Amino acid sequence: MTIERKLALQAWIFLALPVLFFCLIRFYPALESFGIAFSEWNLLSPPKYVGLANFNRMVGDPVFWIAFRNTFLYLAIGTPLSLLLAFLVAYHLDQVRFAHGLIRACYFIPHLTSAVAMAWVWRWFYQPPPVGLFNNLLNAGGLDTQPFLRSTTQALPAVLAPAIWAGLGFQIVLFMAGLRAIPSSYYEAARIDGAGRWMVLREITIPLLRPTIVFLVVISSIGFLRIFDTVYNMTDNGAGGPLNSSKPLVLYIYESAFRSYQMGYAAAQTIVFFLILLAVSLIQLRLMRTR
Amino acid sequence: MARLSLRNLVKRYGQTEAVRGIDLDVADGEFIVLVGPSGCGKSTTLRMIAGLESVTAGTLTIGDRVVNTVEPKDRDIAMVFQNYALYPHMSVYRNMAFGLRAAKRPADEIDRKVRQAAEMLGLTPLLERRPHELSGGQRQRVSMGRAIVRDPQVFLFDEPLSNLDAQLRGQVRTEIKRLHQAIGTTIVYVTHDQVEAMTLADRIVIMRDGRIEQVGTPLEVFHRPRTQFVASFIGTPTMNLIPIPVIRIDGQPALRLEAQVGASPLVIPVTGARAGALEGHAGVTVGLRPDDLRVLPASAATDQALQGSVVIAEPLGPTTQITVSSHGLDLVGMGDGHFLPKAGERVTLTFDPETLHFFGPDGARLGA
Repeated sequence: MTIERKLALQAWIFLALPVLFFCLIRFYPALESFGIAFSEWNLLSPPKYVGLANFNRMVGDPVFWIAFRNTFLYLAIGTPLSLLLAFLVAYHLDQVRFAHGLIRACYFIPHLTSAVAMAWVWRWFYQPPPVGLFNNLLNAGGLDTQPFLRSTTQALPAVLAPAIWAGLGFQIVLFMAGLRAIPSSYYEAARIDGAGRWMVLREITIPLLRPTIVFLVVISSIGFLRIFDTVYNMTDNGAGGPLNSSKPLVLYIYESAFRSYQMGYAAAQTIVFFLILLAVSLIQLRLMRTR
Repeated sequence: MARLSLRNLVKRYGQTEAVRGIDLDVADGEFIVLVGPSGCGKSTTLRMIAGLESVTAGTLTIGDRVVNTVEPKDRDIAMVFQNYALYPHMSVYRNMAFGLRAAKRPADEIDRKVRQAAEMLGLTPLLERRPHELSGGQRQRVSMGRAIVRDPQVFLFDEPLSNLDAQLRGQVRTEIKRLHQAIGTTIVYVTHDQVEAMTLADRIVIMRDGRIEQVGTPLEVFHRPRTQFVASFIGTPTMNLIPIPVIRIDGQPALRLEAQVGASPLVIPVTGARAGALEGHAGVTVGLRPDDLRVLPASAATDQALQGSVVIAEPLGPTTQITVSSHGLDLVGMGDGHFLPKAGERVTLTFDPETLHFFGPDGARLGA
């Protein structure tokens, strides 16, 4: 056996386990769900082929469309807002020397915290007075009590806030790494040229952070599209309420499958959801990679 | 174009003093090279002139204006960085135009100046390229172009050739010199490479530990180094430095180089004005440039000769650089290009006593 062959063999031995794992645990069930999407199945009786019935039902299902809209709201608000906040924090933190490590750790800790524990703490924050922290603060400041999780208009942003907060640490660390990677001579050259702060930010910092931004936009978009645990833990009975006003698609899929035992309908939604994820990711990569 | 003057310039970082009070006057249109080993304060000095580092104490004057606290952009300087600092996402044109856009010049003026500079540097066909599509030498020219368009009074170069390979370095060096002849702007240039310093400078400033050791033309610092440090820093191969006791023969000072067992010591008489310099010294360090130490076959017997055995012989083409072990020292000398002795071979070393440099125990030059 040549040395190249030996090395290749060794590599494949190491790769075999994860490849096997992915095929059996990930790809096979995923492919199977394509079949289930065209059947009716309640887990007990054998699946029955129903053609496009599940997809037809989806089109006429108002809850599906609410969940669909909510998912896009999570994405459309969550991604830009979290990136903007993370960039602002990273940009300023990069210029701070005092207690730099400590501040960075404070931002990163939520990322390490259990999502369930965090969701429940925030759920408590949102309670009416005299229990909830936020309402107590509002009242102390002379402002009206807010319903937060009990309101159909405020529930979604109230659930989104901890989700953004939890992801911030990770995004900040990546932004800081990106900022650090920009050679200081670029800024010095700009200083000698007399470029203002805004010109430097717009023409040097942001363009040079592009790879970081592309990565974070894609990762955080996928994250917000898949939002589930915060909603599940913060709303009554994990239902994404009130009146489905904070219910994302993943939660609706979960309900269809494991509360209503409609496996076919859940699988059909999963396929639609998968196509959305794929499309969003591809569009973003295409948009951000050009130039 | 402008004069530049540093008066007792100091830079401190906390307790450490990077620049310890230097004085330097640069004439209008002069090409000054700051050279020294790393950590000698040359880059810090340049960065203070640029305004990228604040001045701890002393006065910095450009033209007739004290600029200690003036913003870099208002100092009328331009700087070429070691890594060129070209913005990778901008075309050559936009890189060169950046400073003028920052200064909010009108578009037609920007265009005219950029094209003019590009023409001068042979960059016109490359204007739409990105930096990563250029060779190292071309990038270096773009960074010079970016400096030129601003029409500064003083050009600052921070080790601009150290990212280039040896062959290109020679080429770009010539281009920089030609550029200086063409535009005649005052240039302050920092390098750790003494060959660059010698070839480019009108005057060289040799720095060490935050102080200036010597300021002089390339030939001055080469032929009359004021300190032992300058003598060993300037010139390749490095000058031979030999500690020798001073003796007296008939009232005249002389140098006595002790020999190993079995050979006779070499006595070098010192006469004339140079003798005075040795007065009062029990011993001196003698400097002898390898180019002044001729290596001959052992058969060639002459006066003032040392005998030794070859340690290593390195052919350079026109000459052969030969390290010889003699009198317990390793001396580097030059032989004829066709003379290639083997290791261990006996050879004769000869030199003109007039070419010797004397340095006192404090490292300062003795005599003229």
